[in-house]
Amino acid sequence: MKKKLNIILGLLLTAAVFFGCQDRSELAGVNPQVPLSGNVDVSNYVSIGNSLTAGYQSSALYQSAQQYSYPNLIAKQGGYGGFAQPLISDPGIGGRIKIVSLDPFVTATDPSSGVPLALTYGAPYDNLGIPGVVLGDVMNSTTTSGSYSKSPFIDIILRGQGTQWQQTKVQQPSLITLWIGNNDVLGFATSGGAKPSAPTPSATFGFLYGQLADSLAATGAKVVVANIPNVTAIPFFTTVGPGFAQMLIAAGAQGFYYQDHNFVPTAGAPAQLSGGQLLLTLVSQSYIAYFGRPSGKFYKDNNLNPALFGVDTTKPFGASLQNPIPNALILDAGEISTANQATTDFNTAITNAVTKYPSQFALVDVNSLFNSIRASDATGGTTYNGVKFTTTFVTGGLFSLDGVHPTAQGQAIVANEFLKVINDKFGSSYPLIDVSAIPGSLTLAKKGAINLFEKGAYLDPNAYKNILF
Amino acid sequence: MKLKLATVIVFITMFTARICAGGFQINEHSARAMAMGGAFTAVANDPSAVYFNAAGLTQIEGTHFLFGSTLIAPVSSFRGVTPNVTEYDMKRQYFPPVHFWASHRISDRFAVGIGFTTPFGLGTEWNDNWVGKYLAIKTDLQTYTISPVVAAKITDQISLSAGFVYSFANVTIVQKSAQTPFPGDAKTTLDGKDNSAFGYTLGLLVKPTPKLSLGVSFHSSIQYEFKGTATTVGAPQLDAAGRLPQGDVTAKLKTPINLAFGIAYDVSSVLKLSADFQYVGWSSYDTLGVDFTDPKYTDIASPRLYDNSFIVRLGGEYKLTDLLKVGAGIYFDKNPVKPEYLNPSLPDANRLGFSVGLDYKLFENLGVSASYLFIRASQLTVTNSQEHYTEGNAPFNGTYNSYAHLAAISLSYSL
Repeated sequence: MKKKLNIILGLLLTAAVFFGCQDRSELAGVNPQVPLSGNVDVSNYVSIGNSLTAGYQSSALYQSAQQYSYPNLIAKQGGYGGFAQPLISDPGIGGRIKIVSLDPFVTATDPSSGVPLALTYGAPYDNLGIPGVVLGDVMNSTTTSGSYSKSPFIDIILRGQGTQWQQTKVQQPSLITLWIGNNDVLGFATSGGAKPSAPTPSATFGFLYGQLADSLAATGAKVVVANIPNVTAIPFFTTVGPGFAQMLIAAGAQGFYYQDHNFVPTAGAPAQLSGGQLLLTLVSQSYIAYFGRPSGKFYKDNNLNPALFGVDTTKPFGASLQNPIPNALILDAGEISTANQATTDFNTAITNAVTKYPSQFALVDVNSLFNSIRASDATGGTTYNGVKFTTTFVTGGLFSLDGVHPTAQGQAIVANEFLKVINDKFGSSYPLIDVSAIPGSLTLAKKGAINLFEKGAYLDPNAYKNILF
Repeated sequence: MKLKLATVIVFITMFTARICAGGFQINEHSARAMAMGGAFTAVANDPSAVYFNAAGLTQIEGTHFLFGSTLIAPVSSFRGVTPNVTEYDMKRQYFPPVHFWASHRISDRFAVGIGFTTPFGLGTEWNDNWVGKYLAIKTDLQTYTISPVVAAKITDQISLSAGFVYSFANVTIVQKSAQTPFPGDAKTTLDGKDNSAFGYTLGLLVKPTPKLSLGVSFHSSIQYEFKGTATTVGAPQLDAAGRLPQGDVTAKLKTPINLAFGIAYDVSSVLKLSADFQYVGWSSYDTLGVDFTDPKYTDIASPRLYDNSFIVRLGGEYKLTDLLKVGAGIYFDKNPVKPEYLNPSLPDANRLGFSVGLDYKLFENLGVSASYLFIRASQLTVTNSQEHYTEGNAPFNGTYNSYAHLAAISLSYSL
C-alpha cells in the first residue's frame, strides 16, 4: 500500500513539475471589435480629402507610404484591416524626392515611377483622398481634365465613377472623415503667391464647405472633420530663410533684394528672414546658392524671359535691384497675411459646419495641434511615445522630404488626434497608436544636422515645384 | 498520508510557479557530472574535478584522461509585443562544446591536472525581420579556458587546490537599425576577440568520515576586453556621410564569480547522494557596452543589471554492477536577469533541470559516460520592459518560453 502511494506521489510530482511550467499557455489577444466600437463602425468608413488623406509623402503617392495614411491607421486601430486604398507601387507617382547625399545634403527626383495596383477594385475606394484637389473638386469633379485643380490623381482614384462626394454617398458609410481645404490656400502659398495669385475667396470657400457639410450630414453618418493648419509654418517655408540670413550675416552683407508680391524689386534684411517676415520656399535653395553672382538660372529653368520682369541677369543675383530674388521663391509680408487670413476664414467656415450639426459632427483641431508643436520647437520639441519631434526639415521627424507632407510617424500623430476625437464624441475606446512603433524614425540621419548652405548642398528645384497638396 | 500528498503538491506548485529565466554560463563539463544534476563539488572523483573542485584530484590514483562533448539544443519563443500575441521562434541551433580533462597523482600528497572547456557561451539567432530586430538578431559568445591546477592533501581529511585559468573568447553581435527615409534597415555586425584573459580557481575537499565529503570550489571572474570591428550595411548615402557605425570597436565583459558548496554522502556501498549550492555573482554583468574607436560614432551602453543568483543541485549515483553506474539529478537555477532588462539576445527565466545518465566501464582502462539533461525555463511574461524595440520608448513586453535538450558523452581513459 505504501509503495503504491509512493508511486502515485512520484507520478503526481513529476506531472506537477512538467505541467506547472507549461510551454504554451494561452495568451489572450486583443479582441478587435466587441468592446471598443461605441457608436461608430470603422469597417464602414470613408475618408475624403487631399494628399494628406491619401498618405502622400516626399512628393509622391506610393504604397509603402499609403499604408500609413491616417485613415488606414484609424481603420486598423479599430480592428478593420480591409480598408480599401488606391495603392500605387513604389516608388509611386508624382516624382518621389530622395536623398542623394547627406553630406553635403542633396536631393533629387526619382526618375522611375510606380503603377496603380488596384484600378480594377470593384467598388469605390474607402480612402478617397486625392492629392492636389481643392474643396471645389469634391462635389464637382469626376475627371482630371474637368476639374478645378487638374490633379492627375483624380482619374487614377475616381476612375470615372463619380465625384468624391458621389462615391462616398454610394457606400452609405457610418463614419466619414473630411480634411479638405489645405490646397485652397497652399497652392497659392507654395508658388510664392504667384500661381494661383490668390487663395480661394473666403466666401466661395464658406459656401462650398457648407454645401458639402449639409450633403454629408444628410447621409446620417458620423462625420469627423479636420481644420487647416497654418501653412506658412511648415518646413517648406521655414527652412531656407533663416539659413540664408546666417549666410548673409557671415558674409557681412547688409541685405538682399527680392520681388514683392507685385513684382516690385524691394530691399530685404537678414532679420526679416530669421524673424519669419519673409519666407523663402524650398525651391529657392538651389538659386540662393548663386547669391551675389550674375545668374539667370531661375528664368532659364522656367522658360521665362527675364526682360519681361525688368530683370538683368548679368547683375549679381539677389544682390542687385536689377536681379532680385523672384516673387515665386518668396512670400512677402502681404502674401503671408493673405495666406494667414485665408486659413483663419476657412477654419471659421469649418467650425461653423461642425457647430451646425453638434451631435453628428466633430472637429479635429489640427491647426492648434500644429501650432503647439511649432511652439515647442524652441524648447527642444514635442515627445510622442518617447520620440522627439520638431518641425525642422528632414531631421525633425514630422515632415517628409517635400517639407509639406507628414512622415508615417506624422500621419500616426494625426491619426491619434482623430482617434481621440472619435472616442470622445462617439463613445468608442479605440487604442491610440504607439507612434514610435511606426517607421519614420530618422535614427541615423539625426546624428548630425542637415546643412543646406554648405558647399555642394542642392535641393532639386523641380522636385519641389511639382508637389501636390 | 493524504495531508502529506497535498503538502507536496502545494510545494511543487509554488516552486514551479516561480520557474521562469538563466545567464550564459555553461555548467555541463562532463557527462557523469551532468547526470548527477551537476552536484559534483563534493564528489570530484574523476578528471573533471579539474573544473568542479580540483581538490578532489587527490582522491584519484594514477593518470586519467576524460574527453567528451555536450550537445546543447535550446528552444525559445517570444509572443508579443503586448497586446499582440504573435509567436516568434528563435532559430534552432545546436552547440557542441567539448571538454577535455587530465589528472595525474604525483604522490600521496600531490596531484596535478589540466583541462579545456567552455565555461560561458551563448548562441541565439532570430529571424532577420522579426519584431525585435532592433534589439537582437544574432548573438554569439564563446569563452574557452585552459586551466592547469595543483592539488595537495594537507591532512588525511583535508585537500586544497589552486588553479590558473587562461582564456580566450570571441563574440559576434548582429542587429538592425531603422534608417528611414531610406528604405529597409541598416544591419550592424560586431565581431570581437580576446586572446588572453586570465583567472584562477580554488578548491577545498574535506572528508570528516570515509562516507561523507564536503567541498568548496571557487572560480574567479574573468575580465575580457574584446577587440574587433563593426561593419554596417545600409543606405550608401548614410555611409558616405559617416552615419553608419564602422571600424574598430572594443567591448568589456566580466564573467561572474562562482562559489559552490557541496556535500556528498555514501548512503550505502552502492548509492551516493550529493547536493550543491552554487552562488553565481552575476551582478558583474551590469552593462553591455561597445566603444567605437572612431569618436564620430556613438558608443553603445545597454544596461543589463543582472542580479547575483544561485543554483541548487541534487544528484545521486547508483552502482548497478561493478561495471555499470546510473545517475540522476535535478537542479533549480534562479534567473539572474531582471525581467525589465530581459533582452531577446538571451531569453532567460528560472530554470529547472532534470538529468539521467549512465557510466559504463568498457575495458579495464576505458570507460564511457552518457547523460541527458532536460532544462525547462518557466514561462516569463514581461510587463515592465526597459528594452525598447522602436526608436521611442515602446517597451518590448511579451511572453518568453524556453527549454533545452542536452546530451553529453565522455570517454575516460586511464594509464
